[in-house]
Amino acid sequence: MVKINGTMINYYSICHRSVWYLIHGLEAAQDHPFLEIGRFITQESFARSKKEVVFDNLKIDLVKKENNDVVVAEIKKSSKAKKTAQLQLAYYLYRLKEIGITARGELLFPKEKKREKMVLSEELENMLKTTILEIEKISNMEKPPELKKIPYCRNCAYRDFCWC
Amino acid sequence: MKKRIYIFQNGELKRKDNTLYFENEQGKKFIPIENTSEILIFGEVDVNKRFLEFTTQAEIIIHFFNHYGYYIGSFYPREHYNSGYMILKQAEFYMDMTKRLSIARLFIKGATFNILRVLKYYQKRGKEVEDVIVVINDILKKTHLTDDVNVLLGLEGNIRNTYYQAFDQITENVDFSFEKRSRRPPENALNALISFGNSLLYVEVLREIYQTHLDPRIGYLHTTNFRSFTLNLDIAEIFKPIIVDRCIFNLLNKRMLKPKHFLKELNGVVLNEDGRKLLIQEYETRLKTTIKLSGTKDEVSYSRIIRRELYKLEKHLMGEKEYAPYVSGW
Repeated sequence: MVKINGTMINYYSICHRSVWYLIHGLEAAQDHPFLEIGRFITQESFARSKKEVVFDNLKIDLVKKENNDVVVAEIKKSSKAKKTAQLQLAYYLYRLKEIGITARGELLFPKEKKREKMVLSEELENMLKTTILEIEKISNMEKPPELKKIPYCRNCAYRDFCWC
Repeated sequence: MKKRIYIFQNGELKRKDNTLYFENEQGKKFIPIENTSEILIFGEVDVNKRFLEFTTQAEIIIHFFNHYGYYIGSFYPREHYNSGYMILKQAEFYMDMTKRLSIARLFIKGATFNILRVLKYYQKRGKEVEDVIVVINDILKKTHLTDDVNVLLGLEGNIRNTYYQAFDQITENVDFSFEKRSRRPPENALNALISFGNSLLYVEVLREIYQTHLDPRIGYLHTTNFRSFTLNLDIAEIFKPIIVDRCIFNLLNKRMLKPKHFLKELNGVVLNEDGRKLLIQEYETRLKTTIKLSGTKDEVSYSRIIRRELYKLEKHLMGEKEYAPYVSGW
């Protein structure tokens, strides 16, 4: 059984092939400029908070306490793929819920000076359940899902790997 | 774009605060760590564990060369791309002789096609290399008749030796006649150039392998001895003619390299520091040169083409797409 992490959930709504890669330990080339920018933003923002908290196989960007609530946050470069980021964050909330922790979520876009609060709704939870099943299906595939050119390919760190 | 750092002087390399620092009697120099992809050390340089820890964190490989400019070995930081899946695939294709042979043959095919590309380029410019081309084509045909990797490697050696016979025709430079291939140590200037150039390419390919999920210890044409790196030697074969040899021809035909760039030592010939710098400069320029690949819109550098070659091999191992070696278009 595959251990699903936040990145897999995030990738799933964009490209199934990249999910297969992750499951097989084939991480994207980290020298891709966008990945470097992403790492830099996560590193440099919110210096006073507790960051990169590891929980089981998950790495949560930021955890804080507000009033008596636990808040987990995901830091993103831009709000362009907000839906995708929401599902990733929902997955953290879902996994925390499984062990009895009720947390709130926050999407942080420090470059845009924006933040968005979210809670784990029933709708999100259902979406997650389907996604988890689908990812399990992908993990059983002998070869990666077929190549498909999508707009996202242009700036993808897997571009050369997919299209060579 | 991160840079390769070459160190020719003697001195001490250390970590200073959060950057790299080189010091000797002649002076001090800071080396920005974020901008460094690897370090090639030719001088007598002292390093300590703190320094190695720091470079490991930054995923910088350090390559060591001896007095003759031979590659001694690398400090290869722990793997950062780990994929059990890919290692198993790599091993599977090594253990299964049919699969291994098919990859080895493709490496030879790529290497030979690129050799022929170089020869034909000079043929068009009036060099007498037709005989060599004919012989090489004959040997290439034989690679399909054997099922033995060692024989295959031998044939590859024959192709290279035949190709070297054309070097005198191409360079027409009496100071740099080829005679015969000699290594460890090279017996003349041209051999010293070939050895040094090839070493540079071996570490470049190693560096690119470090950026992929492949294990450099499992090669297909060069037999794995489980201790040293061999996959980089395999991949380098494909690129030697179009990267290293072209640099050498350029430098010799433009009469930039001269006998004064070589030192005759007791047991061989070595390039001096200025000679090494000339070759490195030419080599760096070539690696950065971007070319348009047929069928695509992108301009890619030779460094990138090497990386893609590794990705193509990964896809072959995944059973997704059969590997086809890179063959230069000119």
